[in-house]
Order: sequence, then C-alpha cells, then structure tokens
Amino acid sequence: MATGMAVDTVGELGFPYWNPIRRRFPPDSPFFASGNVERELLAKQVTLDFTEDEINHLHKFVEIETRRISCPIVGCPERLKSLDHFEDHYNARHTASCSVCSRVYPTSRLLSIHISEAHDSFFQAKVSRGYDMYECLVEGCGLKFKTYKARHRHLIDKHKFPTTFEFFKKTQLSKKRREKLQRQHVSKLKHEEDKEAASSDAMEVEDKGSLDGLVSALSSLTTSDTTPSNVSFGRRHGRGLTFVPRSVHREKRTESSSAPGPTN
Amino acid sequence: MADDGSASNRRDPIKSSVGHVAGQRRRQQAVTVAKERRELLVRAKRLCRVGTSGDVEDALVENEMMIDEEQPILEAQAIKSVEELKSAVQYQGKGAMQKRVTALRELRRILSKSEFPPVEAALSAGAIPLLVQCLSFGSPDEQLLESAWCLTNIAAGKPEETKALLPALPLLIAHLGEKSSAPVAEQCAWAIGNVAGEGEDLRNVLLSQGALPSLARMIFPDKGSTVRTAAWALSNLIKGPESKAAAQLVKVDGILDAILRHLKKTDEETATEIAWIIVYLSALSDIATSMLLKGGILHLLIERLANSYSLQLLIPVLRSVGNFVAVDPKAILTILIREQNTEESIIGVLAKCLRSEHRVLKKEAAWVLSNIAAGSIEQKRMIHSTEVMPLLLRLLSTSPFDIRKEVAYVLGNLCVESAEGDRKPGIIQEHLVSIVRGGCLPGFIELVRSPDIEAARLGLQFIELVLRGMPNGEGPKLVEGEDGIDAMERFQFHENEELRVMANSLVDKYFGEDYGIDE
Repeated sequence: MATGMAVDTVGELGFPYWNPIRRRFPPDSPFFASGNVERELLAKQVTLDFTEDEINHLHKFVEIETRRISCPIVGCPERLKSLDHFEDHYNARHTASCSVCSRVYPTSRLLSIHISEAHDSFFQAKVSRGYDMYECLVEGCGLKFKTYKARHRHLIDKHKFPTTFEFFKKTQLSKKRREKLQRQHVSKLKHEEDKEAASSDAMEVEDKGSLDGLVSALSSLTTSDTTPSNVSFGRRHGRGLTFVPRSVHREKRTESSSAPGPTN
Repeated sequence: MADDGSASNRRDPIKSSVGHVAGQRRRQQAVTVAKERRELLVRAKRLCRVGTSGDVEDALVENEMMIDEEQPILEAQAIKSVEELKSAVQYQGKGAMQKRVTALRELRRILSKSEFPPVEAALSAGAIPLLVQCLSFGSPDEQLLESAWCLTNIAAGKPEETKALLPALPLLIAHLGEKSSAPVAEQCAWAIGNVAGEGEDLRNVLLSQGALPSLARMIFPDKGSTVRTAAWALSNLIKGPESKAAAQLVKVDGILDAILRHLKKTDEETATEIAWIIVYLSALSDIATSMLLKGGILHLLIERLANSYSLQLLIPVLRSVGNFVAVDPKAILTILIREQNTEESIIGVLAKCLRSEHRVLKKEAAWVLSNIAAGSIEQKRMIHSTEVMPLLLRLLSTSPFDIRKEVAYVLGNLCVESAEGDRKPGIIQEHLVSIVRGGCLPGFIELVRSPDIEAARLGLQFIELVLRGMPNGEGPKLVEGEDGIDAMERFQFHENEELRVMANSLVDKYFGEDYGIDE
C-alpha cells in the first residue's frame, strides 16, 4: 500500500470513480429553488417595503423548509432542522466510544455488544463452552450465533450487509482521533463522577486503575503472538492494542493451514 | 402624510403614506412572519399598488397602509363597493360611464391598500362578472384600466382566487392588442402575468387562448414600462416545465432579435425580465439555444455580468450562462480563448460572482465552473491557472453547504480527465497535487461526514483520487492526517449501501493490515 500505483482490486469491487460530467438542471429543479425565491422576494421588495429583518427571516424560512435532514445512520428516525443540528445530534447520539480500544459505534447497544465480544473474558468463556453468544447487530432481530463468522454470514444473507462489512474492523482510527476520543472520554467520566466524589485527581487514578484492570484481563486472554510489546493505555501506536477475539483466531487456524498470524 | 404631491417617482407616494404607527406595528410583526405571508411573497405573482398610467394623483388619496387587524373593515368595504359597482353597471342613464369608473376606482383602491386585499369578500359579492362586463369592447380606457387593475390584484393571491379570473381571460388577452392604449395593455398583461404565475393548468389555458403572440409583440418597442411588464408576464407564461410555450415563442418572427437587442441596451429592470425569458428559453428550447448562441448572446450576458451590481439582474443572467454552458460547451470555447483573463472573460465574471456576498450567485457560479471544468483539458487548465483557484479553496472551507458541494464538483472535475469508454478516468496529477496542497482535504472530508448522500459520495470519490493519485504514496497519510479514516468508518452503520461499500473498500484497500507497517 505504500506505493502510488495501486492494483485495481478496488475496480473489481465496482468503486464509482470520479468522472467529470456536465450537469444540467430543468428550470423547476430544486437546484434553482433558492434563486427563484430570491427573484420573487426582490421583486416585491419595492412595493411592500420590507425591513432587513423581514428579509433575513424570509430567507431563513425558505432554507429551513427545503432542507430537513434525515439522519443516515441505520435505524435512526431523527429528522434535523439544519446541518448544525445534525452535527449536534450525531455527536450526541452516534459516537459511543469504547473506553478500552477507542472504537466508535453509532448506538450504545452496538457499543455494548462490542465491549462484550472484544473485552469481556466471561463472554469468551461462554463462547468456548458452546453458547450462542454472538447477537445479530440489527436491533429487533434477536438471533444469536455461536461464532463471529456465523453471525457475519447472517448479516450478509438476511440483512443485506455488504460482504466487506466487518463489525470488528481490524483497522484503527487515526492517531489524532483516538487521542481526541480518549481525552473526551476521560473528561466525560471526570465530569460525571465529580458530582459524587472529591477531587478530579482521585478520579483519574481510579479511572486508570479500572482501565488497567481491563487491560491486564485483556493481556491474560491473548496469546503471546498478539501481546503487543508495550501496553500503553490511551496511546495506540501502530499495531498496538488491536484485539481479535480468540474464537476468531481459532476459526482462522482451522480454516487455513497457514501460520496463525495475529492480525493487527 | 401623503403630501408629497410632486413626487416624480411613482413608488414614493406609497412609501411615504405608510403611517408611523402602522409602520411600527408592522416591524413588530416582522418577528413573527405569518406562514401565509411568506407563501404570498414567494409566489410568482405581483400585487399592483400603483397603476400603469403613472397617475400619482391616485396614490395620494391612500390612507394609512392597512394592517391585518383591520381586515374585517376592509372586507366590509369591499362588499359595499361591489354592490355599488353592480348598481353602477345596471344604471343606463346620464353619466353612467362616470358612475362606473367611480365605482371601479373605489373597488380598485380597496384591493390595492393592503398586502392582503379582501379578495374573497369581493369574489363572494360577485365582482368577477361585473368586472368582465366592464372589459367589454369599446369601453373607455379609464374603465378598462380600472377593471384590469382590480382583476390583477384579485389574481395576485391564493390559487382559487386566481382561477376565478377564467371568465375574464379572453377579454384581457384581447386588450393586449396593438389598438389598445399602452397603459391598458400593460395592466392587462400584468393580470395575465399573475394568472400565468399560478400554475401549469392556467398557463395552458392562456396558451390555448392565444396569449403568447400578443404578449410577445409587446416587447418589440425599445423601451417603456410596458416592455418590462410584458416580458415578466411572458417569462411566467413560458416557464414550463413543459417546453411547448417556449417552442411557440421562438417561432415569433423577430423575437430573438428583440431579446438580444434588449439584453444589450435596455435598463436593468427590463433586462432582468428579459433575462428570465432567456433562462427559460435556454432550458427548454434547443432551437432557441442554438439561435441565441449564434446571435452572440454569450458575449452580451458576460458583459452584463461584468458591469452590473444588481442582484436581480445577475441571477437570471448567470443562470442563462449556466444553461448555455451545460448544453453546449463548445460554444464557450470561443469565448474562453478570445478573452482569457480579462475582466470581461467568462472566468473573470464567474470569479466576480464567487466573490459576491450573495449565496445564489456563489452557488450557481460554481455550478457553471464545474461544467466548464468537465470539458477538455485546455478548459481545465484555463480555470486552474486563474485567480479562481484560491477563491474556490476558501469557499470550500468557509461557505454554506450548498455552495461547498458545487465547489467540490469544480475541484474534482479539474483533477480528472473525462473517461473514455470503460476505462478508469485518468488523474491529472499536477492539478490534484496543487489543489490538495492548497488545503482542500479537510473540506472534502467534511463533505464525507455530511448527511447528504450526494455530498458524501463526492467526498469519498475525491478521497479515492487522493489515495490513488498523490505521488510517492502520500495519499493515505494525508487522508489519515485529516481524520479521513474516521470519517469513512462512520459509514459502517450508514443506511446507504453504496456508500458503505465505497467507504469500506477504500479503508480495506488503503488502510488495511499492512498500513503503517513502515513506521
């Protein structure tokens, strides 16, 4: 991937490359709506003596009416008044982030599924004993599966997820983003617990403590292949703390005879 | 209050007659602009407050401008006035004509006082048949004028009120004829313009009754307010979306020459309405488009764009240019080559629009540029080498969403050759590099985050260009540096499958397992 001349695997997947084309719009296209409205307002301005306030209100009205935004996250029914409202909504509702690995999920349900599957030793224990632990990600479906792969197949077959969809993606957030989320999360925790406890210093320690606990639980689960050389909380450098559930490892081993490479 | 008897400007009397109290109250009401009023203002119809005869005397008798609370009073007056008109029409004796004109005038004043004339009251009292009667052939000009004026304002409001004019249409159209006096013809054109502005059904009725040729004839003179009003009415008549009216207009002998003549010389207000006619012709009639281009319209449009500061005029002129460019890119090549980089070049005037503070101008200018940038490599180079580039880059980061989207089209189009057949379109690395170095990536990634499907798609497509086309494999690092990976990972749970697949495939391909392996 370091070279500029990439192979055309993207082409095979049908990526719609940027292709310059001329765009023509019919006269009643919504594209021209604001210009048409402007025409009528300007024409009446002379006879009806608007104040500047009125003009601003009129413009706002037209914009608001023509641009109600539907939130595009699967299953979210919100319709927002403006782009700013959308951003606020998105940040409030769809950025649940994992305190262990900083991954971000659009709903708290998905986040909690992730935490169980990726960071919970009890979950793994039940999996290894053959329970159906992997929930379908689509809210309301209710089905559960014994393996990650089986659930993956179900998502594709039943719910039309793309084959490239990976609930547990192996790639990571950009460094900047991870650090930002970490800061956000820590300050959120601080803020919440400030209501009960004393100093924020104490909180930080406690925080770190509980998270350290998770981290050590984590490392006890991984094979030596996957333990990173330095477990540094909050700063994920390169191929740091990418956790792949043991069950996935096991499946991979049985499915392919090649060496069980830790997939970081 | 209304003592400015010597006002030469016809509009002034109305403004100065606004009572102080009424004006204050209106300003307070401005904060809660009623939905009804907004709809009224946005309609393609126009209330007539000062008549076409330019008689200042009429306006002077105006009282304070009415405000909504006094609506019941207005309605009562309307009903009474229609009753009086009825008896005046029935009266056959001496001075009948004067009686009729007086009654008409009173009704007209009631219908002109307020932003919300008591139309419903007037209609229910039976105004229309009376007004139609007053339009009969051979009636004196004053009578025709007042009657047409009443009808104009009746038609300026709600759809059902406008439709009520149906019985009057044949007579209104007839009085557009060349034998009518100018003010009468103009007032009839105004009424017809309001009817045409209502909707396609009424437009079709007007067309079937022969309104178009008569209106068209009215724009041949060199100047006069009649030309302006008729041009406006005509623009309402041909706006479509069906193209048959536009096609009919093209066939009027000499009309295109008249249009070109006015575009070149006439005052800005008239040119504005003419420009709207051009907008619709260029959008709906290929014949008109090619004939106007042959007649040198692009040069005239560019001249107007360069020299005018009237937003009213700039909007339709710019849009006309956009329509021509969208249809016939070859036509602009001649312009581009001839006048490159002068203030009067097409790029120069588009830059002027981009610099404007008006949202519509910025958005539509970017649209035009995007179409030019979709052309040959020479055209791309021509844009890329001008002052437009820093403007575009700045707009990408700072302007409202709809403008940013259009700018994105321009920038992306500049970086890619047009595809031939099924091959992947080639990247113009020189342009891509300079645009990325100019700081466009954050703006595109911002688009990726937007809930607008088209914008998100554009953003992802541009990211693909960066990932594929930046030299020395810099692409992935640059994208990561601007939180691009994060933005793309948002799509995992996006409801749009195409976007999910696009984002996933980019992340898989360029930020897969081996990413960062060299660190």
